[in-house]
Parts: sequence; C-alpha cells; structure tokens
Amino acid sequence: MSGDAASAHLELDDVQFQVLNAICLKKMAATGEVADATGLSAPDVEAALQTLEGHGLVAAAASSWLPMNGAVPAVEAWAADAHGSLREDEGIEKLHDRFERINLAFLQAMSAWQQVPIGGKKVPNDHTDAEYDAKVIGEIAGLVARLGRILDRLAVHVPRVALYETRFGTALREIDAGNIDYVAKPTVQSVHNVWFEFHEDLLRILGRERRE
Amino acid sequence: MTMTAVDGPWIVDLGAGAVPPQTDDVDLLGGKGAGLDRMLANGLNVPPAFVVTTALCRAYLSDGRIPQDLHPDIAAGVTRLEERAGKTFGKGPRPLLLSVRSGAPVSMPGMMDTVLNLGISADVADALYAETRDSRFVADVVGRFHRMYTDVVLGLQPDISEWAAEDVEDEAAAATRGSEIHRIVWTACQSALGHEEGITVPDDPRDQLVGAVEAVVRSWNNPRAITYRDHHKIPHDLGTAVVIQAMVFGNLGELSGTGVLFTRNPTDGSPEMYGEFLQGGQGEDVVSGTVDPEPLAKTQTRLPALVAELRDTGNQLERLYGDMMDIEFTVEQGQLFLLQVRAGKRTPQAAVRIAHDLHAGGTIGLGEALAKLDLDQLRQLARPSFDPVAQEVARRDGSLLATGVGASPGHISGKLVLDPDRAVELAGPQNPVILARTVTSPLDLHGMLASEGILTARGGATSHAAVVARAIGKACVVGCSALEVDGGSQELRVAGRVLRTGEEISLDGTTGEVFAGALPLTTETAVDGGLSALLDAGIDAAGVAILCRAATTAQIAEAVARGADGLTTSIEDVLAAKSLMGPVLGALALELGRQQPDLSRVVQHVRDATRPWLEAAASRPVHVRAIDLRSEHTASLLATQPTLADLPGLKTPLGRVELLRAQIEGLADAADAAGHGGDLCLAVRHVTDPREVDLLERLSAEFDNRVSVRPYADAPRALLLEPRPDAGGVFWLDFDAIQAAMFGILPTELETPEPLDTHVKAGLYRVDPRSGVDRSMSMLLDRLAVALPEGLGIVGVRFTSPASAVIVGDLYDRGVRAFSVNPPELLPLRLAVGQAATAPRDSATKGA
Repeated sequence: MSGDAASAHLELDDVQFQVLNAICLKKMAATGEVADATGLSAPDVEAALQTLEGHGLVAAAASSWLPMNGAVPAVEAWAADAHGSLREDEGIEKLHDRFERINLAFLQAMSAWQQVPIGGKKVPNDHTDAEYDAKVIGEIAGLVARLGRILDRLAVHVPRVALYETRFGTALREIDAGNIDYVAKPTVQSVHNVWFEFHEDLLRILGRERRE
Repeated sequence: MTMTAVDGPWIVDLGAGAVPPQTDDVDLLGGKGAGLDRMLANGLNVPPAFVVTTALCRAYLSDGRIPQDLHPDIAAGVTRLEERAGKTFGKGPRPLLLSVRSGAPVSMPGMMDTVLNLGISADVADALYAETRDSRFVADVVGRFHRMYTDVVLGLQPDISEWAAEDVEDEAAAATRGSEIHRIVWTACQSALGHEEGITVPDDPRDQLVGAVEAVVRSWNNPRAITYRDHHKIPHDLGTAVVIQAMVFGNLGELSGTGVLFTRNPTDGSPEMYGEFLQGGQGEDVVSGTVDPEPLAKTQTRLPALVAELRDTGNQLERLYGDMMDIEFTVEQGQLFLLQVRAGKRTPQAAVRIAHDLHAGGTIGLGEALAKLDLDQLRQLARPSFDPVAQEVARRDGSLLATGVGASPGHISGKLVLDPDRAVELAGPQNPVILARTVTSPLDLHGMLASEGILTARGGATSHAAVVARAIGKACVVGCSALEVDGGSQELRVAGRVLRTGEEISLDGTTGEVFAGALPLTTETAVDGGLSALLDAGIDAAGVAILCRAATTAQIAEAVARGADGLTTSIEDVLAAKSLMGPVLGALALELGRQQPDLSRVVQHVRDATRPWLEAAASRPVHVRAIDLRSEHTASLLATQPTLADLPGLKTPLGRVELLRAQIEGLADAADAAGHGGDLCLAVRHVTDPREVDLLERLSAEFDNRVSVRPYADAPRALLLEPRPDAGGVFWLDFDAIQAAMFGILPTELETPEPLDTHVKAGLYRVDPRSGVDRSMSMLLDRLAVALPEGLGIVGVRFTSPASAVIVGDLYDRGVRAFSVNPPELLPLRLAVGQAATAPRDSATKGA
C-alpha cells in the first residue's frame, strides 16, 4: 500500500469527526449533503474535507466525496474514545432496547408501505388506495414521534443526534405535501434513509454490529 | 367529485333514510358514513350507527369553537342507537360500547383515526364480566380503550411496557369482579400517564364520547392535514364527519367469531369466496395477525350455515357494488354483522379475470368492466418472466442453488458481483448484474442502483436490502442462508459450489429461488383470463384502428397476436433489420452527386427488404415512414458516409425528391410482389406547408397512387395543413413531437419520469404533457377538425411515449379513429381506447 505516507495520523476534531462520519454513513456525498446532515456550514464542511483529503481519509470524485480505507476505522476509534462511558451506561442500554422495539415496528410499517397483503400474497403497493396510504403514513409519523423521545434523551449525551429530528421533520413535510418518494426512496432524504442512517450512527456510538 | 360545502343537520342516523334530499351524502356524511348508510339502506346487517356530520365541523370552523348545543344532540343520538342495538350505553345488563372514527369526504394524513371500546366504566366492566366470565377479555377491553384514547385523543404514547407489565395482566386475570379488573387496569394505565399534568382519560362514558367526537372535529385543523389539503387543492371548509357505531363482539362464546373475506380469489380472480375466520376472536386479532385464523374452506365443514350466509351476503354485495368486495365481519352470538365493506384489492391477473367474469355474468356492463382495469396493470402482466418450462427444468437439473425469501418481485438473469463498486463498473444496459452481499447497508446503495437484482444471505422481508430493492423496483431475494458471500476472495459459496464475479445467475424475486446460469425470458405470460375478449369488445365498440410498430416479420406476428389491426414501421428500420441500410447509404453517396442519379439499387434494396415484411402483414393496413435523414438516429449512420453530409439538398426538410421516388417505387413493387391488398401509405416527416403536400400528391400520382404518400405531422405548423382525404389515407400526427414542441422540451423527455416529475410536482405546469392534452394542442386540433371535411376521422395519432388514458380519451372524444404505439404499449392502448368508447357520457363531464 502506498497510502501510508499520505494517511499520516490525524487527531480528528469534533467537526472533522462529524464530517467524516457523515461521509462514511452516506458513502458518497456532496458538500451540501454533508452540511445538511451535520448542521455545519458549507465552508466549515469544505475546510474539514480539505484536511481529511490531505490525510487520505476521503477522496473527491466528480462532485462528491468518498470515504477511503482508513475512514471507517478512524470514526470507530473516535466514537470508542468519545462514547466509551456511554457504552457502559444502563440508561443508554435501555434506550437502545427501546429503539430496537420501535425499529421492528418501523420496518413492518415500511413493508406495509411497499407491499400490500392480498389474499395471503404480498403485492407491490400501487398507491391507488389513499386511505391505506394515509394509515401507513400515520403509523410511520407516530413511530418517528416515538423515536423523537429517544433522540431527545440521547442528545443529552450526543448533541448531534438532535439533527435527525430536523431531518425527519423535513421528510414528513414533503410526504404530507404529497411527495411520497420521501417515505422510502433511497436516493432522496426519505424517512427510511434518515432512519437507517440514525441506526448505523447509533450502532457506531454504541460500538455494535448490525444484524441485518 | 364535487367538493362544495353543504349545510345540513348535525346528527344523522344512518340507514334511516335521514339524509336530506338534494344533498351529496359523501359531502355530508363523509366517505365512511355514506358507505355505511348505503349498506344499511340496502338491508345489510351492519351494526347501527349515527354520524356527526360535516355541517357540525363547518360550524366549528366558522365559530372557532364546538357549539355546546351539540351535546344534547349527541345524547339523543346515543339514545336512539341504544334502541336500535338493544343495549345500553354506560351500564348493563347488555352494555353498548362504541367505535368512534373520523370520516372525511377525502381521507388525509394527520386526522384522528379510531377509538374502539368507548363507553367502558366500572359498571360496564361488571356487566361485561357477568356476560363473559372472561377476566382477560374484560382487562383487554379496558386496556385497549385506555391506550387508544390516550394515543388518538390525547396524542400521547406512554411506553407500553410500563403498564402492560405481566403482573398487571396477571393481577387483573385473577380478579373475579369486573369493576375490580377495571380498577386494576385503569389505575395502571393512568399511572403510565402520570408525568403529564392534568391530562387524563375521562371515567364517564358520556365524557369519553364528547371528548372523542371533539378530538375528531379538531383534528381537521391538524397541521399535517392542512398541508395535505393545501397541496391537493381540497377546500379547507369541507369538514370531517364523525362516525359513531355500536361495537359487536366476536368473543362472546362459541357462536361468535370474526373474519375477513374476499368475494372472489384476489390472487387469481377465480370465482370462489376466499377468507379466514377466527371463532371466539375479536376483529383486531385477525387484522394484527396475533392469532392464526382458519381458512373459510375449513369453517365450511364446521359451520356450513354461517358460510352459506356469507356467500349469500357476498353475492348480494357484488350485485350492489358491481365489484369483487373485501368484507370484514363479526358474528356475535350467532348473528352476522358486516363491519367494513370495500372493493377488494387484487393482483393484475385477478383484476382481468374478475372484470371479465363480472361482465360475462351480467353483473356489470362492458364500460364498467373496462373501467376496472388500468393501463399499468396490463403493463405489469406483459412484463417478461422466466420461461416456466425452463425454470422447472432448472429446478431439477441442479441449477437451483438455494432458496431464500422473495422480497421484491421480478425475474432477472445477470452477472454475479459481490461488491457494490464492481457492480457500478460492470453494469450496463446490455450487461445486467446481480449484487450478492451478506447484508446490505446504505454504503451499498450505489451498487444496488446499478444492479438489476439483489441477493443477500441474511435478513428478512423488512431488511435494508428488501426495503431499498422494492423502493427502486429491483428484484430481490433475501435471507438465503445457504449462501456464503466471501468479500475477501470475491467468491460465492453454496452447497459445495463456488461462483465467482462475472458468472451468470438468475433470481426469482417472488419464489426466492436462486439459479446458476441465465434462464430464458418470455412475454407469453398468462395475459389472457378473458383479457382479449374484453379488449376486443372495447375496440369493436370504439370502431378504432389500432396499429403497432413492427420492424421484422416476427414482430408483426407478435403484434397481430396481441390485437394489432395494422402495422407501422419506417423504411430505415426495415432496411436495418436486413442489414441493407449501409448499402443504401453507399448507393446514395455514389449516385446523388451525379447530374442524373440512378437510384435503381436503392429501389431494389427497398423492394427486397419490404417484400417479406409486406407478405407477413398480409392484407392489413400498413403505414411506413419514409427515410428521415434529419433525425438524431440517422445522424450516426450518415457519419459513416462522409461524402453524404455535403450533398446538396439531402438535409432539406423533405430530403432529395429522388430518394422519395425510390422509396415509393420500391414499396409499390414490393406490395405487388407480395400480393399485399391492404392500404399502403408512405408517411413523410417534416411536412408543414401546403406546397410540400402538393409535391407529395404529385409524387403519389407519378406511381398511379399505388402508394398513398402523405404528410406525417411532427411540428405544430403541420396542424394548419388541410390534406385531402382519399382512400386509405391517414394523416398521421406524431403526438409526442408536437406536444413537446409546444412546451419547448425534448420529445424523449415525455418517455421518462425525470426531469418532468420534479417540474410537475413543483406545480409549474397546469398540464403534465405526458398525461394531458395541452390547450395549445387543443386549439390546433379544434381548428384541424373544422378544416377537414371528415373531421379528425382521417387523423391517426402515433405515440412514442407510454400511452396515457387521459390523452387517448381526449383524442377519441375529438373523433380520432386510428392510433399507433410501440409493441409494449399495445395492450394498454387497446384498453385506453375501449375505456374511452364505453365511458358513461354524462358522468364524464361532471367533474370538469
């Protein structure tokens, strides 16, 4: 490997961590997307990216940034250091259990959004039944509200997670305005995307592996 | 749907003929209320109900508060409900419990949903326990009500685990007095709410009812509902209704139960009732799937009288609604009650069979039958799938590698990749790839987007891979635990076999099967089930000629099999299919520079290429577009013959007249040789001027009109032409080209979701050019209809983009009687034309 020289050790500061973490969660992200996901200003994100690029942790590709090999270990190490005490905390453990329960219900609601059971068979939801769709969207909004209480509690220890609430709010407003892509479409900041990103982030904070 | 505010009474008893005449009952009673009213009025056994109407909601909206004189009206409504139900609200011996639901004329998000078991109190719990001797049931009724009221009316979601602790249940289950059970559960529920000051669930059933009704009314102005109405242009003064209905219980002893049924099989459409029944169960048990109900076929042997009654009811409902119905029902002590009845969801295959059978059986007319289908359902039916014989062989010859969970439908063969980056590198339109991962995460998204199929070793139907695959419409198999995906060695190991990147595999996203090798695809799916008969009847009623593009004799056979009356193609497509386009361009390059060009070789190539094509077309009408050297498609061809680019006149709007002559002569000779007896037309693009039309008519006459040479309108100016009608002549319009020109966008942008989806969603077009005829187009069509002696009867419309039911309907209503599409759109076009011809005339103008 020839990258050794380039990836000279970088002690990540908080902003650099947030930027690198966002790039790792998204895999490929433009500066603006990282700014949206972190709540940082675009110039701050840009500056952090320059430093990270200088240390070989990210690379520019077209109009986006990609994480390099050292990126995930770097954010994992940072999280282990910053959140080590949280990982021993019983209250946090309980929050995690509660998230797992809500997550299960959320995944079922996502399935219900995409597939309608017809006579024991699941078929793609063609979104012609407004009543059915409204019911599932109501469920999803309720689950996001329940997740909100977890985020509030977690944000006491990890302030940046509060931003997920803002992002959920934006997605839900789009949905209510009739833009149903914001339920599950992976290429927009849909509720499912934001939820999944939070799940990954939570696992990183807690130093765990995802099951499926 | 009309959406004007109506005045009316605040309370209406359903089924009592109480809706004032001249009132739209949906506007006054809401969708749910109007549905119940209709069922009750038709003598169906529905638990009695009354409605707090949208008029009350509007009074609330204009005054900013709920009129207090509503309370005595509600009380009077409850008294009448008690009489009809033979039960009493708030006390025994037969207590009346209520469901309270919102019922807006249009369903929308954010509105309060449903509260069940309303009316519970200590006295009522005593009576329920005396009736059932089932303390768990009583505890459940109390807990469920408290939870729903808290959630729906108060908008709070206390952590369930805090109150549903097992000791509460056990304590309640051990109690032998209803009021004691009520106290235990109620106290536990209230204490879970404890943190929220002053917020509580009322003890008094009447307060509960008033609280729930008012919450529904207020939820009309929930911010989410307001956003929704703003966006969907639903008037804010429409108001919601509240449906208050007696509850029935499926858990009151042996002769009770609950179930759901479809009046026909919703999967394949066969005319057998299909459903499930749970003896001694409540409705939510079946819906939530917590208990396994039995199939109705089994119930038949135990409770034949019930099943017979269900069958009679189902038949009655089908006659009443003219459709396959989905019914939720409860049997309370031997009496059948219908809780909800609506048109049943169904697969596209079932939709075809049901529409056909209901029509054939005389239940509905042809127009209603065609209206039950939509164009997308036919597109889904015609999607290619694995050849069933080849798939069966693959199952037995060892090609079946493993079976997982089918998570997103689709039959896909492609090259195996085990890494998302590799998927992006390898994937291309002619090179589909299938991405296999142990699990997927957002880090794999770019690879999933590039792949046609997704395969995971772990995870279920709600895993990341499954959710994303369905969202982006890719076939997906998950939880294939027999697979070992080794990212290090880039190998897929399964049952002792090793597969590497680039090897072909096939996925069945429905059955979850994974095969080695590519399985052949076919479009010969079960398209029938009565579909041809229905579409034929629609086309007969329409009197329309349906043409389909076909460049080869095989494509002609397929188009004819799918119901094409005639065929369209272009000279360059037919030449290209025979590899003769190159020689033609070569001949042109050689001859057109000369003073007396000799294009006899071009004539010969056109004749040779089109002769077998015309033989296959038999005597069907044939419309062939002349070579267009100005189009993007031919630009790359021209680039292969540099000398052509500089030839004078070749790129004029009509091209060189010699080339037109050569095509007319070649086509006419081929038709003679092939014995083609049908209409034969050569359509020429870029014609916009009457003088150009004169030229085409002279050319046609030079060859004794053996080929009718006509303009093919592809620019707005061409709609000002007034071509003379003659035998077999059709004045073709390229709809996409003209409509796109009106909007100043590219015709190809009408074929794809983006960029127009974003623009239309932003509300910046009054008409989506993909699904509506724009006013600019309308004006020219109106003018054309007046100018032509036979109106638009001689006009044919050609679509390159997917057919739109609205556009086809609009053009049909204007008198267009010929359409042409590409092969995949043939069935959808035929449906759209049939629907246009059989749509009820008077209601078509109502919503405008």
